[in-house]
Amino acid sequence: MTRLMAVATLCAAALATPLVWSHPFALHIATQALIWALFAASWDLLSGYTGQVSFGHAGFFSIGAYTAAISAKLYGISSWIGMGAAFLLCATVGLGVGFPALRLRGHYLALVTLGFGEIVLLIAQNWGGLTGGPFGMHDYGTFTGLPRDLLAQRQAAYVVVSAIALAGLAVLLYVTRRTSVGPAFRAIREDQILAASLGIDTTFYKLVAFTLSAGFAGLAGALYAYYIQLVSPTVGAATQSALVIGMAVFGGIGTIWGPFLGAILLFSVIEGLRFIGVVYNLIAVGAVMVVFVIFVPRGLAGIRLRR
Amino acid sequence: MGEEILEFLIVGFVLGGIYALFAVGLTLIFGVLDIVNVAHGEFLAIGGYTIYIAMIVFGLPAALGLVLAMATVFALGLVVYPLLIAPLQKRLGRRAPGPLFLVLTLGLSALLQNSLLAAAGGEYLKVPPAITGGLDLSFTYVSGQRLLILAVSSIGLGALFFFLRFHRQGMAIRAVAQNPAAAQSVGIPLGRIFTLTIGLSCGLAGLAGGLIAPLFSVYPAVGFTLTIKAFAITILGGMGNVFGALIASFIIATVEALSVLVIPSEWQNAIAFATMILVLLVRPSGLFGKKQL
Repeated sequence: MTRLMAVATLCAAALATPLVWSHPFALHIATQALIWALFAASWDLLSGYTGQVSFGHAGFFSIGAYTAAISAKLYGISSWIGMGAAFLLCATVGLGVGFPALRLRGHYLALVTLGFGEIVLLIAQNWGGLTGGPFGMHDYGTFTGLPRDLLAQRQAAYVVVSAIALAGLAVLLYVTRRTSVGPAFRAIREDQILAASLGIDTTFYKLVAFTLSAGFAGLAGALYAYYIQLVSPTVGAATQSALVIGMAVFGGIGTIWGPFLGAILLFSVIEGLRFIGVVYNLIAVGAVMVVFVIFVPRGLAGIRLRR
Repeated sequence: MGEEILEFLIVGFVLGGIYALFAVGLTLIFGVLDIVNVAHGEFLAIGGYTIYIAMIVFGLPAALGLVLAMATVFALGLVVYPLLIAPLQKRLGRRAPGPLFLVLTLGLSALLQNSLLAAAGGEYLKVPPAITGGLDLSFTYVSGQRLLILAVSSIGLGALFFFLRFHRQGMAIRAVAQNPAAAQSVGIPLGRIFTLTIGLSCGLAGLAGGLIAPLFSVYPAVGFTLTIKAFAITILGGMGNVFGALIASFIIATVEALSVLVIPSEWQNAIAFATMILVLLVRPSGLFGKKQL
């Protein structure tokens, strides 16, 4: 229990640091890192925890981001409603993608989701009337009701993003650890046929995983849209999917909190390496993926557990 | 209209040759190792850069450039198995790999693509065509490079088929694809066959990269869209089915080329993705069934 308290205190302190030491750059990095963290955790729910590998998760992220941008720009809808809308819409799309994907496993599922991501990208690029085409959308404002002062606005945005990301993490952890859904997910990952023969409704639980995971990826996308205030088709590029998978592998797939932390760490490292060169940080991501998969397949989370 | 259709058919057929060189390698790796090589497009890009360096920097003739492109990427492909895949296989033992190999090749793809970006920059490098001139059919003109693509890809694919059918090592590759355990028990060294398979497949991708360099220019991400298209092709032809991949390459390429007549060209790429999803939902084993070498 004391260890739990120590960890909680440490996390709270880490979260508060960007507010106390309110350097705009530090705040900027921290806010984005938390958005990625929620995104990585959502990927992990579907792919790491339930074993249904998605290579097109940036597609959901992108749909969420565009939902936020479009609802704010064209209809002037408040960001608080926009985030809910992004969650619900992406959850629905996730359900829609999950249905046909039920028949597929492993490689095939990965390839179909990759195709899904590319189609989302093409729609974002070519449906100019709705999405603004290749240049994307901007000038639709940030979270509704934030202070006008720039630094105060950043601080407030950080608080909003961290609250939502942590709430998302809490929901995902609760679902996987405290409900009967979690063990069902794990059973599907380990052996789908065995799980079905034990009376687990694999169809139902896979759809739950798809819906929840897509919903949270979309929510992360909406946070991104409101925070960055610019959404372009590249938000849904395959490289984004690769990046989030790299983050999850780095943190340790199948643990939910591992990818969450992994994303924060890796994103900070990537942004730190930006001073050396934009290209090198992406090389580093690739190298991290290769090295971690081969030598540390359980990621940072696994290292801690072995102790 | 008729001549227009014929013109696009020719364009599609040439493109089909490239797709085939590329997708046959991809499906071969899947058939033998059960691994989807997400980094296949990066090997194509390396082939393109090799021919650029050979022709522009060193001023070598195009034919030598093509051979060098194939040889370099073949050599690179040879180290992929012992360096990356074997260690992961060993670590996994008999446990199910799950998504790990996919993540591994995805990481390799990011690593190679961005290394190319760092080393060569993002510009589109122009490579001169290997042969000038062309064939003047009264209604259209087919450049010499396109004819060369057709000829070289036919030779390359023909050589591969003969190798797989009649050469000892080729037969060993087919044996491993059919049943690794049985192949091992009759004395076929699995590791060497895996190494050779990836080397060969990458060599073909390098050749394809050298061939299309004059058409598409060379840039780090040149192979990525092609990789996703090749996934569609391998799925349509049946994953691991080399003959199926060959036929499917020409189907997808001609449909893509003809689609320009019907839909706006910026949606052209969607055809492959839509085909892939449709095939997986309706007939996941593809047109010609799984695993045949």
